[in-house]
Amino acid sequence: MTLVECSENVDEKLLLLMEQLQLLEEKRNTLNTLIEQGWLSMSKARYSMGNKQVSTLQYASEMEPLVRIHVRSQDSGGSEVEFNTVRLETGKDVTSVEDIGPQEEGVRKRTRPKGETATEKQESDKLGREKVPEKKNQVIPQQDPLRWFGILVPQSLRHAQMSFKQVIELSAEIASLQVSLLNTKRELRNRLQDKQAVQKETQVSDR
Amino acid sequence: MAGRGKLIAVIGDEDTCTGFLLGGVGELNKNRKPNFLVVEKDTSITEIEETFKSFLARNDIGIILINQFIAEMIRHAIDAHMQSIPAVLEIPSKEHPYDASKDSILRRAKGMFSAEDFR
Repeated sequence: MTLVECSENVDEKLLLLMEQLQLLEEKRNTLNTLIEQGWLSMSKARYSMGNKQVSTLQYASEMEPLVRIHVRSQDSGGSEVEFNTVRLETGKDVTSVEDIGPQEEGVRKRTRPKGETATEKQESDKLGREKVPEKKNQVIPQQDPLRWFGILVPQSLRHAQMSFKQVIELSAEIASLQVSLLNTKRELRNRLQDKQAVQKETQVSDR
Repeated sequence: MAGRGKLIAVIGDEDTCTGFLLGGVGELNKNRKPNFLVVEKDTSITEIEETFKSFLARNDIGIILINQFIAEMIRHAIDAHMQSIPAVLEIPSKEHPYDASKDSILRRAKGMFSAEDFR
């Protein structure tokens, strides 16, 4: 590899690093603005609900995450990583229709007619056994965290929730960007070392 | 676990944690261990550091969000973490705005721009 090629490689990586730094700064500014909006909305909600109505005391005793992160390695070495958010539906949407009536399916016949044969009995047992796992597969409804703070929460608390939902998505993007930034920096350092090695070689050959 | 996805952990003041939990990141697992820590005035640095290390050790956590003023208290632990997963993100708090010059990642990325490198 010639010295010119090495320099071009270094320049290429340096430009990429600068672009990523600029993008990171832009995303950071957006994140900071969104968080500030979220806090402002939360303070407004506190003002209308009361000081202690939006605090750690209202957290639910059972919590299930509504957002998860899918981590995807972009190369075989696993150094390039991408984070993506996946939002689950809340309970309100999952169970839109309320079940009314008995929980057990069908009516059990306790007194059997005398004429029932053994094969019928076996069949009914089989059906009974098959029905049990279906109930276990039902989706457990997720509770919207807004409900921790009351049924009729002020609009400002909903705005706060919206802001923080956006912040969560943005933070996944920033995390991906941070990882690629560090990778670019590592590559740039390697290219610089290559360039220095070539420089030394050319100096020796010139003498 | 990979199919279900990973969690976002939060170490922050009350408002930060409440906001992110409103956003739906909160989880209490089977052992009743939360994926967040609300740092109050009486929370010790040891407790913060232990929680941070326990989050690093958990393989179901993908991103750790931490208020920058809390990150300052355990800077050595954050600087020592070199893996990509979980990613550590420093965020501002109500009383302490975000300062890019304190961010571990940015300091690592910019740390190379010395005169020696570009000779």
